[in-house]
Amino acid sequence: MQVNVNPFWRWMMKIFLVVWSFCVLYPVVWTLLAALKNNQQFMLNKPWSFPELPLIWENYLYVWDKYQFSSYFINSVLITTFSTVFGVLLAAMTAYVIARFAFRGNGLLYMIYLSYMMLPIFLGIIPLFFLLNDFSLTNNPIGLIIVYTVTAIPFGVFVLVGFFKTLPKELEESAAIDGASHYVTFFRIMLPLAKPGLVSVAIITVLNIWNEYIFALLLINDPTKYTIPVAIAVMQAEMQYRTEWGPLFASLIISMGPVLLFYMIFQRQITGGIAAGAVKG
Amino acid sequence: MKLQRNLFLASFILPALALYFLFALYPLGKGIYLSLFDWSGGSETYNFVGLDNFKALLRDGVILKSIRNDYILIIGKVLGFMVLSIIFAIGLTRFRIKGSGFYRAIFFIPNVLSVVVVGVLWRYIYNPNIGFLNSFISLFTEKEFNFPWLGDQWSIFALLPPSIWAGVGYTVILLVAGILNIPDSLYESADIEGASQWRQFWSISLPLMWEQVKTSVLWIVMTTLNGAFVIVTIMTFEGGTDNATQVLGSYLYFNAFKYGKFSYAAAIGVLILVLSLLTTVVLQRLMKRETVELS
Repeated sequence: MQVNVNPFWRWMMKIFLVVWSFCVLYPVVWTLLAALKNNQQFMLNKPWSFPELPLIWENYLYVWDKYQFSSYFINSVLITTFSTVFGVLLAAMTAYVIARFAFRGNGLLYMIYLSYMMLPIFLGIIPLFFLLNDFSLTNNPIGLIIVYTVTAIPFGVFVLVGFFKTLPKELEESAAIDGASHYVTFFRIMLPLAKPGLVSVAIITVLNIWNEYIFALLLINDPTKYTIPVAIAVMQAEMQYRTEWGPLFASLIISMGPVLLFYMIFQRQITGGIAAGAVKG
Repeated sequence: MKLQRNLFLASFILPALALYFLFALYPLGKGIYLSLFDWSGGSETYNFVGLDNFKALLRDGVILKSIRNDYILIIGKVLGFMVLSIIFAIGLTRFRIKGSGFYRAIFFIPNVLSVVVVGVLWRYIYNPNIGFLNSFISLFTEKEFNFPWLGDQWSIFALLPPSIWAGVGYTVILLVAGILNIPDSLYESADIEGASQWRQFWSISLPLMWEQVKTSVLWIVMTTLNGAFVIVTIMTFEGGTDNATQVLGSYLYFNAFKYGKFSYAAAIGVLILVLSLLTTVVLQRLMKRETVELS
């Protein structure tokens, strides 16, 4: 393939891409190093200088134990796991029915879920807070799990309806001839076939929930029940009066580490899923 | 048989739908309802006040400032996102540069981080005394440079770089997908006719990835009106000095959960709804183009 781009512009573009890669990667690497410094190094040395030896690994211990990030980490893991499982399962059930069955209100049902993505959540946060409060679900991880499950459903329905529609019709027909009930057909045949779609929905949902801040801030006040993002925000707010830079950046690593690892494993599914959605429209 | 089928459908639809109505749609509707009352939390009594809350909004200077700030963020982000991601997307496809998949993967990294993490990081970058930016500028100045980036009356602009840094990977992927979807034959025949790359960009790439450009712009509008709260409160706590960085989302939150003015806050929520619908409709009009048929 002949490429007729002016070599000068080609070089400019290459430089630009490398510069932006640096802008993206450097803050991540920098945080990793900054988490190993003590306050004195922050005050006296340049921000870009390397941490001095001995490295302050204690910063991690400090946030993990004294700042209770061990429990925040567990809270975040549990809440993310349960919300994702429930959200994806409910979305898959709804999407399957919308995609494969003709019934009255089918299109309306789909629109009801899609419209959520165009509505501002802020409009609902006050009633939501009081609603959950009435059920004693504020300051309760179950409340947060319910809210996250519900917010995961519209996106899941959107992606999975498209996915279920592509599966061949003969599968259900032959299952019906074999006398399989609708439930057996769904759980034994359709759900396993939809695995790639389920996986990409689950991945995106995990990322969204792990990082979510607004609902977690709204619904959890009890410091033992924080999720990681809320804990970091609280910690940073306290830093206005008492600076502990090293531990603060160590806490960022505790939040970033799992998602970056996750991203490294599932990068193809994540960016591939977005790209596929982009051209389907 | 028929009954069985209906029972099955109901059992698959209703659990999700019930939760969705109760915890997503009902609060939205109740939010609109609340905005017409004078209600201060807990109490059972709702005083109907009609449009009084909205009249109060008009007289509230902070509301105007918050709207201004929301739109500074929207316009700044749309420009920043689109310029960067169009350049990147063209560079990663039409320039046939080696390692394009690698760059795409790298560019998306900030998108997987929590906005809280992004905000804390950038708050340090902007720190007046020991922050990255001022230390860097100080290398070139005689006196130590310590401008308070987040404590200024125009600090809202300082929130643009972190927002763009954190999000642009997403629109790059959208636009790259749009360009890769364009048949090679179009570019080949343009090459044969001797059309320059620049010309090809304007008459092939841009019109044919317009759908993705539109999607990106609308996505930016929605995520800004809904999500600017996070970057604002993490980086400037209660909205900066003299509400310099206040946005509607954060002002709603503080009115409700700090000052207990729940119905006033609900009216702000309705305002956010109206603005997001208006902006989406206007943008869809503005960005309407003849759909280009692929022949």
